[in-house]
Amino acid sequence: MHIKDIALTTYRNYDRLALEFDDTINVIIGENAQGKTNLMESIYLLAFTKSHRTPRDKELIQWDAEYAKIKGTIIKRNSRFPMEIVLSKKGKKAKLNHIEQRRLSDYIGALNVVMFAPEDLNLVKGNPQVRRRFIDMEIGQIQPRYIYHLGQYQKVLRQRNHLLKDLQRRRNEDATMLHVLTEQLIEHAAIIVERRFQFLNLLREWAAPIHRGISRELEKLEIFYRPSLDVSEDMDLDAIKESYIAKFHGIETKEIERGTTLAGPHRDDLVFYVNGRDVQTYGSQGQQRTTALSLKLAEIELINKETGEYPVLLLDDVLSELDDYRQSHLLHTIRGKVQTFVSTTSIDGIEHEALQEAELFYIEEGIRKK
Amino acid sequence: MYYPEPISKLIDSFTKLPGIGPKTAVRLAFYVLEMEEDDVLEFGKALVNAKRELTHCTNCGHITDQDPCAICQDESRDSALICVVQDPKDVIAMEKMKEFSGKYHVLHGAISPMDGIGPEDINVESLIKRLKDEGVEELIIATNPNVEGEATAMYISRLVKPAGIRTTRIAHGLPVGGDLEYADEVTLSKAMEGRREL
Ligand SMILES: Nc1ncnc2c1ncn2[C@@H]1O[C@H](COP(=O)(O)OP(=O)(O)OP(=O)(O)O)[C@@H](O)[C@H]1O
Ligand SMILES: [Mg+2]
Repeated sequence: MHIKDIALTTYRNYDRLALEFDDTINVIIGENAQGKTNLMESIYLLAFTKSHRTPRDKELIQWDAEYAKIKGTIIKRNSRFPMEIVLSKKGKKAKLNHIEQRRLSDYIGALNVVMFAPEDLNLVKGNPQVRRRFIDMEIGQIQPRYIYHLGQYQKVLRQRNHLLKDLQRRRNEDATMLHVLTEQLIEHAAIIVERRFQFLNLLREWAAPIHRGISRELEKLEIFYRPSLDVSEDMDLDAIKESYIAKFHGIETKEIERGTTLAGPHRDDLVFYVNGRDVQTYGSQGQQRTTALSLKLAEIELINKETGEYPVLLLDDVLSELDDYRQSHLLHTIRGKVQTFVSTTSIDGIEHEALQEAELFYIEEGIRKK
Repeated sequence: MYYPEPISKLIDSFTKLPGIGPKTAVRLAFYVLEMEEDDVLEFGKALVNAKRELTHCTNCGHITDQDPCAICQDESRDSALICVVQDPKDVIAMEKMKEFSGKYHVLHGAISPMDGIGPEDINVESLIKRLKDEGVEELIIATNPNVEGEATAMYISRLVKPAGIRTTRIAHGLPVGGDLEYADEVTLSKAMEGRREL
């Protein structure tokens, strides 16, 4: 799939901008603070209704403006349709094919996007939250139903944590309601964990050979799920549920003492091993970057496998960070099949061959110069 | 902006209604000034009477002008079967369907620890009392199909199970996460047929 065009209205530092894109490579060139990341972010937003760098939608609306609008045309093998996001102080509207969508899960997934930005090093280095967000976003864009379960899970979790606080402070002594919420929580938790297992199995399959390729056959990448309870990937949904039931039974007193939920997918994590060692702890900067890159490239293949179309790839400020070998490896993998957006302060650091077929966009203070 | 006091009071009152913002309130207030005096009187009376004359049925919690309510008093209805709903509006939606011949119980809310609403804050106690008094055999729990409605359904089911009463949950022909009152009658009647054991 690819994005044919985009139109921005009072979004970040773009007053009004309309661009037509190439379906192969688009290079966004500009000095610092001119709006390169803003443009990448707008494409990400169109896909996910959320920014990759801020949870506060207000920041996306141009200062002094009432609203921000992003509109794009998406082309897939058999279809072509507009997508639109309008952000205002009142909230957010998302339209797919001119029709407003009420549920996130009815909108996300229409446009698949994979982004690789400097912050993605945190995927390896950062805290578990970053990795959970990664896995949840990626499953969500392949299986919109997952977003529904995630949302329900979070609602039950909030209710349950409130009740545990009440029980902790002895405002309430009734364990029946806690058991009800536990049952409800497990219902969604088990589905979330099962889907994550399925996703990891696929991710692994793609990431390992890609990583071997980028590291010139020197490194072996392994990915593990680190759950907050005793579950393993060979378990089916019922077995996962059983395991949760036993776990929550065992920690009930402790949960009441602490006033919060102590197990569940919101406390799980991913671990990456390179050549048998935890990269987060022992990996070099380069190994960590390669790991993050392998995961992103694997994701591209995985999305193609699951949806039948390659996603759009956004490379913000990262291409020139890679050494020549990794850069050409990356460009080679995507050439001819993945519409790619590359941002850079200078085209000097980018492989010539790739530039030949690319469309160049020079951006200055929110305006396209040539 | 300056309005003479009687108008600003009227505007104020309109803004207390759900879904009415300041602009609409002004429009409605000025419309009232244009209405025939008789109609305005009628309108005012209707408001006051609705409030004064309607109470909640002490048996089932539904809104009524007589206590117990007409449904509770209706001998032709099956008192072994009770449909438990969150809101009086849900009873009215069910009644429109004209297929349900049991009785109702209105909870006036759903359990939500986050909002400080516990089981004791909704109308469950009188439900438990009815189970014995009226020889109830089955509860159909038709709370809203969202997180709080589901939790409330499960809670009630656990509560009455020891008494050997069958509990069923209305099936999800309803839009997931939606409110019951928006469902049309066809969906509702389908949902009743497909109820499942809790
Ligand atoms: N809501 C907003 N309204 C107007 N301007 C904004 C808004 N948010 C950010 N900006 C401006 O956008 C600019 C930053 O743009 P962006 O992050 O896209 O830069 P960049 O071209 O990616 O730079 P770098 O090369 O440093 O990454 C800043 O000058 C900032 O002041
Ligand atoms: Mg930038």
